[in-house]
Amino acid sequence: MEFLTPLVGLYAAAAAVPLLLLLYFLKLKRQEAIVSSTLLWKRAVRDLQVNAPFQKLRRNLLLLLQLLALGMILFALAGPVLALRRGPGQRYVLLIDRSASMNATDVKPTRLDVARKQAKACIESMRAGSALSWRDQSDHAMVIAFDQRASVVCSFTSDKRQLMTRIDAIEAGDGSSRMAEAVTVARAFAQPSGGEGVAAAAAKPAQLVLFSDGQINDLEGIVIGDNEIVFHRIGESQDNVGITAMNARRSYEQPQEIEVFTSLANFGSEPVTRDVQLSVGGNVHAVRSVTLPGCRAQAGDEPFRPGEATLQFSLTHSEAGVVEVRQLGADALGCDDAAWSILDPPKRLSVLLVTQGNPVLESALRACPIERLDPCTPAGFDALDPAGFAVRQQYDVVVLDNHVPARLPPCMYLVFGAPPSGLDVNSPQELENQLIVDWRSQHPVLQYVNLTNLFAAKTHRLLLPRDAEVLAEFNESPALALLRRHGSTYLIAGFDILQSNWPFEPSFVLFCYNALSFLGAQAGNEQRHKLAVGDPIAIEDGLNQAAFMVICPDGTEVQVKPDPSGDVRFPGTYRVGVYTAKTPDGSPHFYAVNLLTPEESRIEPRDRIEFAGVAVAAQEQGVQQANVPMWPLLVLAALVFVCAEWLAYNLRIRI
Amino acid sequence: MATTRPATARLTDLLDPKFMARLDSLDLLSRKIVQGKLQGERRSKRRGQSVEFADHRPYVAGDDLRFVDWNVYGRLEQLFLKLFLEEQDLTVHLLVDASASMSMGEPAKGLFAKRLAAALGYVSLVNNNRLTISLFGDGLRVQLPNMRGRNYLRQMAEMLLTAECDGLSDFEKACRDAATSRIGCGVTIVVSDFLFKQGYETALRRLIGAKYDLYVIQILSPQEIAPELAGDLKLLDIEDADAAEITISPALIKYYKRNLAAYCDELRDFCTNRGAVYMQANSADSIESLVLNYLRRIHLLR
Repeated sequence: MEFLTPLVGLYAAAAAVPLLLLLYFLKLKRQEAIVSSTLLWKRAVRDLQVNAPFQKLRRNLLLLLQLLALGMILFALAGPVLALRRGPGQRYVLLIDRSASMNATDVKPTRLDVARKQAKACIESMRAGSALSWRDQSDHAMVIAFDQRASVVCSFTSDKRQLMTRIDAIEAGDGSSRMAEAVTVARAFAQPSGGEGVAAAAAKPAQLVLFSDGQINDLEGIVIGDNEIVFHRIGESQDNVGITAMNARRSYEQPQEIEVFTSLANFGSEPVTRDVQLSVGGNVHAVRSVTLPGCRAQAGDEPFRPGEATLQFSLTHSEAGVVEVRQLGADALGCDDAAWSILDPPKRLSVLLVTQGNPVLESALRACPIERLDPCTPAGFDALDPAGFAVRQQYDVVVLDNHVPARLPPCMYLVFGAPPSGLDVNSPQELENQLIVDWRSQHPVLQYVNLTNLFAAKTHRLLLPRDAEVLAEFNESPALALLRRHGSTYLIAGFDILQSNWPFEPSFVLFCYNALSFLGAQAGNEQRHKLAVGDPIAIEDGLNQAAFMVICPDGTEVQVKPDPSGDVRFPGTYRVGVYTAKTPDGSPHFYAVNLLTPEESRIEPRDRIEFAGVAVAAQEQGVQQANVPMWPLLVLAALVFVCAEWLAYNLRIRI
Repeated sequence: MATTRPATARLTDLLDPKFMARLDSLDLLSRKIVQGKLQGERRSKRRGQSVEFADHRPYVAGDDLRFVDWNVYGRLEQLFLKLFLEEQDLTVHLLVDASASMSMGEPAKGLFAKRLAAALGYVSLVNNNRLTISLFGDGLRVQLPNMRGRNYLRQMAEMLLTAECDGLSDFEKACRDAATSRIGCGVTIVVSDFLFKQGYETALRRLIGAKYDLYVIQILSPQEIAPELAGDLKLLDIEDADAAEITISPALIKYYKRNLAAYCDELRDFCTNRGAVYMQANSADSIESLVLNYLRRIHLLR
């Protein structure tokens, strides 16, 4: 059994029961007196009634009051609603923000719960279709929940109960908030889909109702019409301290040494001092106190700057483990108080160099801190065992020097010259005399690498798939590209180094160092184990056909079956924490899902949000009841009439 | 005298000795010249052997020749019979209400009724009338039948003093019983408050007859005549516990008094129309003045 408005019932009971009791006691208070006979008294009372003025009216008054009370109750049963809105049925799209910042507890219980409540109030005030009305004037609504992607919680309906149930079923997430997709979906659904009534209703565009704290990252890219969106602001406080960056990596030279970098940001206006705890595999290694200055509010052109502090921990840990950094102070948002990083056991790289003979490359690779470097001829590489186990087991990085192998076992590849086949990379022609025009100096592969003077006499023109990452460009073709396929990572340089002046550049050795270090890190799955919220967990070895069991941070277990190609994908990383993927026999793989987005940690609710060119101010009051159900008033009126009838009856006895 | 002394002593609980002394000079009077059983001190309508001449009538065969008026025969040569009024005793029936309602009032109506009954009974016994006293509630409750002479004073006083006023009232049944037990002719006196829910008309009709004079004495307490109630009340009937919820207001008191007056008037009219005598008494009045003045005024006593 459900009560739509239990409070009303309580209020009515609170008013009616004491009143009834009062009347009851009033009746009881009559004093008793013994007389010899009530004969004459009864006659006197009767005479009094008969002779009282307006006698007829009085008798009718009782009937009238009873009829009125009954009428009120019957009217209330019919469920009338005082419609403050007129005209044809409106259509609403409720956009409910469920990003990480909506988990803040500055409004109780959480912002998302308050948003749900307000959305339900909004649903409650919709006009319901009535069996008695001859035109469909009911309001329709759909509900979309969004974080970085939008999901349709409930498509257009006028069924309030269904809408409410679906709103209740919206789960909190730890993602970042992006609204563009939600707006697109909303507009797509709001298109008239034919049908007479719907078409008439669609003459007016659907009203978007946004329930959010206003911290939405892609507002500038969304174009909305005037009055298209109504914004209900959720949240009160901006005080929050979050971890905005965290990384744990083994030193390249000293693999037992682990450096943990973390930066914290204070989004409140007051300086705070917080303890930061570092633990590995659940064992606390260090706790440090850090004082964060207050944030600097936006003023004029000055952007908002949180109070930031950076911490660096060093520890020695020669095994695999999960590093956790946690700030111990309590604040409104819990999901940004901790960050995790997965450590693989220390390992020096084993490199396989496939070349016809390239002393320059070989010596450059040998200069890097690697375990071993095995040169190999192209024929020897192709002759390695066909399943590729040998390559995967023995080598972390394969360097292909001007060789296009017949098949590519999963591994990390550094490719010079012609790109390997089967990667959607085409090289239709060769170009000559190419100069570097641009490169991404911020990328780890090109850190400290100056390519200004790089000149290639001959190069392959690379036509890359869309997901490839171009790191450096010649004037007519990409020079360096990063591409991930089937669990392998390919760092492709589309030219033979012997056809360029690169070996004479100091940047070449640095590039080799960076490339091995980068690919080694990729090989160590360091990056692959580090996910943002919503990124799928992918296990792409293509070999294991067994189902995986993924254990979420909250302890739930999800079985994930591999797709036909043997890859396993688990998309449900909606909450931060450490996810564990296990095969029935194999060892567990850990995946750290971190928030690490200052935009979400900044929980300050916005009074106005700026879309592209249009600013929308938050509604002054909460959700307004547009349709007032009248039955409580009617029941109250019925109660009043019953009381009046009782009083009238008693007066009739008394006078 | 030995037997009457304690009786009078007991009777003094009800009646003042001085009052009793004044009662000695009184006698009950019947407006109808009644036919008694024994030859008493009263003229009877039945012509008979008496000293008081009443009339003549023509002789018819079979008449007692002793009553032929020979003087008239001598003068007129026609046979006439002399008729005499016969003096007979008077039967007095006292019907006293002893239902619970009579216990109400300050002073109590019941006590007043008993004192009145005692006074009337005293007069009857002293004058050698045949006295029957009945106390009734829901039917005849106690009855002392056919008392005659001072010797019965003690018995009468004992009965009146010991009887309690309680229980329901069924006036109709009481009158039915009283009427059937009544013999001869005389006076019937009913003392009650006459507040009977089932009505008094049928009952009184049974008592009204050719042979009996009916006297109806209604006793009301001062509280009934002028109620001193106030506030929101639930009135309970002492007899049948019937409840009436009232709120005292001047209007209600006015209607009550009006109703009471109408009720008494109805009773009076009912009695008068049927040759009975009605009298109302207040239980706060003095019994002496009632008996000595009012009862003589209505010719119950002389």
